[in-house]
Amino acid sequence: MVDLADKSGRARFVPGQPDMWAFVLFETLVFTAYFGFYLFCRTQTPEAFLHSQAQLDLRIGVFNTLVLLLSSWSVARCVQSARAGAYGPALRDAYLTAFFGLVFGCSKVFEWAQQIQLGNGFDSSDFFTYYFFLTGIHFVHLLIGFVVLGIVIYQLRSPARRSQQLVETCATYWHTVDFLWVLIFALLYVVR
Amino acid sequence: MSAVITPPASSATPPTGPPHHRIAWHLWRSPKRELWLAWAILVAFYNLFFPVFFIVAQVQPPPQPTWDLATQVHWFHERQLGIPIGFGIIFAIGGMNAINNALIAYSMRRMSVTRAFGYSYLIIYSLSAIPGLYLLCIALIVGTLRPDRDPEAVGWLYDFAFLSFDGTMGVFLIGSLIWMVAILIDKNRVFPKWFGYLNLCNALTEVVVAPCWIFRRGVLAWNGQIAWWLDMVVFGVYQVTFIVMLFQMIRREDFGTGPLPDLARKKAQKNGEA
Amino acid sequence: MIKFNKRLLVVWIVLAAFTLSYLWIDHSLSGSLTSSALVTSSVIVIALIKVRIIFREFMEVRQAPVLLCRLTDAWVVLIGAALLGSYFIGTAIR
Repeated sequence: MVDLADKSGRARFVPGQPDMWAFVLFETLVFTAYFGFYLFCRTQTPEAFLHSQAQLDLRIGVFNTLVLLLSSWSVARCVQSARAGAYGPALRDAYLTAFFGLVFGCSKVFEWAQQIQLGNGFDSSDFFTYYFFLTGIHFVHLLIGFVVLGIVIYQLRSPARRSQQLVETCATYWHTVDFLWVLIFALLYVVR
Repeated sequence: MSAVITPPASSATPPTGPPHHRIAWHLWRSPKRELWLAWAILVAFYNLFFPVFFIVAQVQPPPQPTWDLATQVHWFHERQLGIPIGFGIIFAIGGMNAINNALIAYSMRRMSVTRAFGYSYLIIYSLSAIPGLYLLCIALIVGTLRPDRDPEAVGWLYDFAFLSFDGTMGVFLIGSLIWMVAILIDKNRVFPKWFGYLNLCNALTEVVVAPCWIFRRGVLAWNGQIAWWLDMVVFGVYQVTFIVMLFQMIRREDFGTGPLPDLARKKAQKNGEA
Repeated sequence: MIKFNKRLLVVWIVLAAFTLSYLWIDHSLSGSLTSSALVTSSVIVIALIKVRIIFREFMEVRQAPVLLCRLTDAWVVLIGAALLGSYFIGTAIR
């Protein structure tokens, strides 16, 4: 994993398993395909999409994004602390990440309930089909993310484990959940 | 498989010489010949499966859920011959599936994980062939049997066939996840970790196709751009990859219980004893 | 380590600012339900900038071998091309 040293003298390394990076890039392609279909569909019936989209609350979307970005911040901090040997702070950051993830999850469920109460279901309109599909498949990735965070916490808790590579691998996955949401948020809530 | 009590492969090394001699040795005398036979059956099955579904019976890509009964009856008429012939072939070769599943379960036996993984994979995939394959075949063959059947009944068979095929992905999802977990916690390095993650990608496509129960049009219908077309791309990548991965596994197999050795670099082989 | 932590916090603040800029865009459109290629393009570009920052800073690609840097940059370009392409081709076909 260690490559030639960069100009500042620190050796370059791949964060976590390269295998996870392969997964991240592949999954990103799959999501990009979903987004491509969505944008294309949108251009075919823009008024209908705009009308449905107006029922979403942008502030909830902004809140979701800020929370998930915070979770990325805390897991990045966790990786750096673990690398420096500060496992106590690293563990706290891992729990913090899980907490932010939970806030995001609850907020999402709350938003779905709100939309359904407004009468916007999975098959109400093309826009809402995409809305529930994209946020739904992202939510599945978030749930997997909780399992992944569980692995991080399990690793950090005992001195017998603490594989830095595994912690970095799991963090890489979590960041993917985050940046996929950044794209979903932009495409569902803000794009006109 | 009697692999566990077979003596180590080091006593039987492949001969040097022309390729056909070496291949013949691998198929006839090598301790791995049963594995190669299983792998060859796997490849043969898929080489028959896809042409039958896409060319002979022409049931994939799937037709639209939104067609009216007259169009559906016409679709069956067009395939009056193709469906019975094609699915007749599928029924004949269906048993090959058992060998495919056994080879994959064997890969899990070679891992350092508990045998429960291999066994549960075998059970799930054996059962999944019924909703995932045979129901479609039976329903469509019944649909072509009597050309003057009541269109309502034909429509019922049409819906039943495609919903059972696309809508029952849950079993395949669990199966993929079993293999994924086994690969990720395996210490014998039977497969690289990225292949475990690819199993996750495949499992997620099964989730994506589930909404086809609800939609009769659009991207998530059983013929939709996302539920069928995109999923087929991911599935195709996955299929080719796992066939190659199993090939590599058999090449590396040493019938031991420890980590699977990596393949010797071709250069080292040439430079070594000839 | 304090230096690293500060950097991460700054990164988050920058990302948060980009996120909040969407509120400003929405506010300046204030309720008009019209599709706009300009708005869509800028929103997508801002999202891609955020994704690249996440790659380089949070996912530590900055300190990764050059191949990974190039690969993630290529991916950002690829996503951009796919998204903008889908949008503009769709608009043209309509």
